[in-house]
Amino acid sequence: MTEPASNMPAKSFGIRNMNALMFEADGKLNYHNMPELMWGINKKWMVHVQGFISNRQEGGFETEGGSLYAKYRFFKDDLKSHFRMALYGRYSLNKADIHQQEIETMGHNTGYEAGFIATQLLHKVAISSSLSYEKALDNKPNYKFPITESNSALNYTLSVGKLMLPKVYTSYKQVNVNLMLELLGQRLNGNKKSYLDIAPSVQFIINSQARIDLAYRQELYSSMIRTAPNGVILKFEYTFFNAFK
Amino acid sequence: MKKLLTIALLLCITTIANSQIIRAELTATGLTCSMCSKATYNQLISIPEVEKVEPDLNNTTFIIHFKSNTPVTISNLKKKVEDAGFAVGELIVLFKLDNQFAENNTSFVLDNITYKFMDTKSNTLNGEVKLKILDKGYIVDKEYKKLANMSNQYPSYGGNNNNIYHIKAL
Repeated sequence: MTEPASNMPAKSFGIRNMNALMFEADGKLNYHNMPELMWGINKKWMVHVQGFISNRQEGGFETEGGSLYAKYRFFKDDLKSHFRMALYGRYSLNKADIHQQEIETMGHNTGYEAGFIATQLLHKVAISSSLSYEKALDNKPNYKFPITESNSALNYTLSVGKLMLPKVYTSYKQVNVNLMLELLGQRLNGNKKSYLDIAPSVQFIINSQARIDLAYRQELYSSMIRTAPNGVILKFEYTFFNAFK
Repeated sequence: MKKLLTIALLLCITTIANSQIIRAELTATGLTCSMCSKATYNQLISIPEVEKVEPDLNNTTFIIHFKSNTPVTISNLKKKVEDAGFAVGELIVLFKLDNQFAENNTSFVLDNITYKFMDTKSNTLNGEVKLKILDKGYIVDKEYKKLANMSNQYPSYGGNNNNIYHIKAL
């Protein structure tokens, strides 16, 4: 799931836990747990620190790595138009084995990703699109990135989200319900292989402070080797406002 | 001659004892979710002279009620919105005025802050009057740039001074 171009409120602190249950072709279930701490530094910058835990390795749950993510929002807002852009970057470490052609620095590959995202808000509909460059490095200490494979990729996403409830805002206590549909694609630069996924999701914002996302990700097509592209993603998030003076 | 000028200038600047700021309507930019709005609300309610904040979530506007007989520091409103990570797009302040003559470049003083009229038709303001703050950071950038180009008409405009605000009668 892509981050939006807007930032979280400045001086606030957030905790998030992402859970992904992905189905391998042989029926095995891959469980990824990605706890995350988020910090809104000011109106321009926010940073995330994330850990990657999964049951993919022999011997059950293991912490495989972590990442640092930063986002810089650079577009000005107007009273009437709501268009914003942000640059973002992620650097990840991972020590797990490399088992697919897909490059994914969130929980699979050591490497980095850099890109930008633009969001346009039209009444209750938000349209977001992102483009990024992702590069895989060796999963140190034991797994070198195979020299026969493409170690870089272009990623692109397009999402449309709509605020379904409430119809009219009357208080911060109202539960907000958003529906979202996202397309996520990747093209490997070395061998031109690609995939495209679709991910419908529903989002609940409770008391304007907690957020639950439930999504299903389904591969539409792929010409590359992927271990477990399809699955259910459940994300919990909680924001502490004005946590920093 | 100089003395006369000084007196004439002083006459333009009137201090009215029974005028006061009653409330403010602040529209923030960049608020697109209820979380962002709540962060801004929490910042605004933390200002000591603020009695109550009514958020209008549909229009990202906050109606800010001030405690009576307490001086209001306008710059605090801007600072708190920016602390939440957003910006002020429009700030309209409801003043209670007592037969205040309003004309471009005339001003009045309230709690040691000078309020100078700009872009306003000459008239006399009495009772509860809505005045829009026109200084940088209180309006959107586009509007500020337009006004800054009129500096020959409004010599004091464009500075970043928390002791003087430029206001337009609505």
